[in-house]
Amino acid sequence: MLWKRHIPILIVAVIGSLTLFGWFIDEPNIKAFVNDDATQWFDILASFAIFLGGFNLLKMQLQKVLRKKQGWQYSLFAIGGFILAIIAGFFYKGNPDVAWGTHVTADGTLFKWIFMYIFAPLGATMFALLAFFVASASYRAFRIRNFEATLLLVSGIIIMIGRVPLGSSISSWFILYLLVLIGGIAINSVFKNKQYTAIFVSVGIIIVTSAGSSMGWPLDQPGIFYLPHLQEWIYMNPNVAGTRSIMMGIGLGIFATSIRYILGIEKSYIGE
Amino acid sequence: MNDRDFMISVGGISLAFLIYWFAGHPYFVTERLVMFLTIMIFSGTLMFYIRKARRGEDIFLRDIPGLKAIEEAVGRSTEMGKPVLYVPGIMDMDQVETVAGVIVLGHVSKMTARYETTLNVPVSRAIVMKAAQEACKESYLMEGRPDMFHDDMVHYLTDEQFAFAAGVNGIMVREKPAACLYMGKFYAESLILAETGNSIGAIQIAGTASQAQIPFFVTACDYTLIGEEFFAASAYLSQRPELIGGVKGQDMIKVIVIATILGGVLLRLLNDIGLINFNILQFLKVT
Repeated sequence: MLWKRHIPILIVAVIGSLTLFGWFIDEPNIKAFVNDDATQWFDILASFAIFLGGFNLLKMQLQKVLRKKQGWQYSLFAIGGFILAIIAGFFYKGNPDVAWGTHVTADGTLFKWIFMYIFAPLGATMFALLAFFVASASYRAFRIRNFEATLLLVSGIIIMIGRVPLGSSISSWFILYLLVLIGGIAINSVFKNKQYTAIFVSVGIIIVTSAGSSMGWPLDQPGIFYLPHLQEWIYMNPNVAGTRSIMMGIGLGIFATSIRYILGIEKSYIGE
Repeated sequence: MNDRDFMISVGGISLAFLIYWFAGHPYFVTERLVMFLTIMIFSGTLMFYIRKARRGEDIFLRDIPGLKAIEEAVGRSTEMGKPVLYVPGIMDMDQVETVAGVIVLGHVSKMTARYETTLNVPVSRAIVMKAAQEACKESYLMEGRPDMFHDDMVHYLTDEQFAFAAGVNGIMVREKPAACLYMGKFYAESLILAETGNSIGAIQIAGTASQAQIPFFVTACDYTLIGEEFFAASAYLSQRPELIGGVKGQDMIKVIVIATILGGVLLRLLNDIGLINFNILQFLKVT
């Protein structure tokens, strides 16, 4: 009980309090602990723990091969890669002129070759897949299903077009005409009357054209309908407001969780 | 500790701090006083509500669809005879989100033990692997099914972000889990994982405080726990009064923050038009 319960809780409480309140104390030793020592301790622990992870990986892959589980052939690649990386890291440099240690970063070594020509391209391939996933996810997100999805679609289009050179070439007039047409669609879906729709669209186009001509609107006037300005407003106001509220929630969540740990209220980490 | 003792302790600590402050407060970083007081007030509020909950006062916790859906997802996997895949993020135990992810894993593994469903937990950090193994082991023991637990249900893949994503994708495509749960800290791999899960028709529930990844999860998953909902998961799933009290405390802190924002705007306005000579922004600035 003492070793499995009380001591872990005590360690969490003491180190947690020291890390939290150390930020308010101007004492070099505490500062050094909070800023450097504590994180270095964690790094040292994590470095040793990698052996556990490595052995676990090897064990799992070997089991797969020996029991001929589904997809066991892929495990051969995992085991081969594991052994090759160990050989390149600890036993064979591939370039006798390079010292041990620096061989992981120096050119012309087996380790660097593996990194440059196998590891990096494979990572880049996975990263590149993201483009296709973004496309398929965007399609689902932008599909018009309800008011919120429509709002998201319109905001997305305004931001995407407003941020590229094409957006600054589109005049405010054009956007106003578009708005009149969208208003016409709304009128038509509410009243289901072609005459009302035609009158609304015609009057709208006449108002926009005559107002623009009489006041001599340039490309970017009225500013509120100019896409680069509009996207900036959407980005800096509604978007930032939403983001900040989520950030505050996250901050409070992290704070409350940390305090629960420090005070020993949350003890799930010792299995309670 | 009863209420009287608690109040005496709080009063004692406050008095001690006041004495320390008026004695010249050696070693204290004076510029951070506002932050220090804020932490004290917030901690006090949290503790107040936790104590209230412990006394047995009824505290309302709104339904969080994503958390309610976890049991449904495990049930669905059981009915389909397919495994549950749980990914506790890609970061180490020094991240609160990973810790929260491992806590939720404890609750999920209780459900899988109860329903006798296979659980598969690939991890990207060795320390997380050990912590997650312990959490699962305890859950299976508590549910009276230690026979169903085996260390390999939590297994290490790699520390590398995209290699991990490739490994998890491989598991998804081969094993076709019926439920995929992503709870922890994620980066760009979030969409790769969630879209692959979507393509195999799994029910997907995500929880993260990684702000940039929330839109991806919202798009690709069936349910997403956004920020604080994710941190409230432990309270919701365990229904322990002190944890629920903490969530209520968190809500009250939010009320304090909103009041402070409104008060700050008012004070700033009064300062700008010259009615008061007090700059709230300068006062709240932490160096």
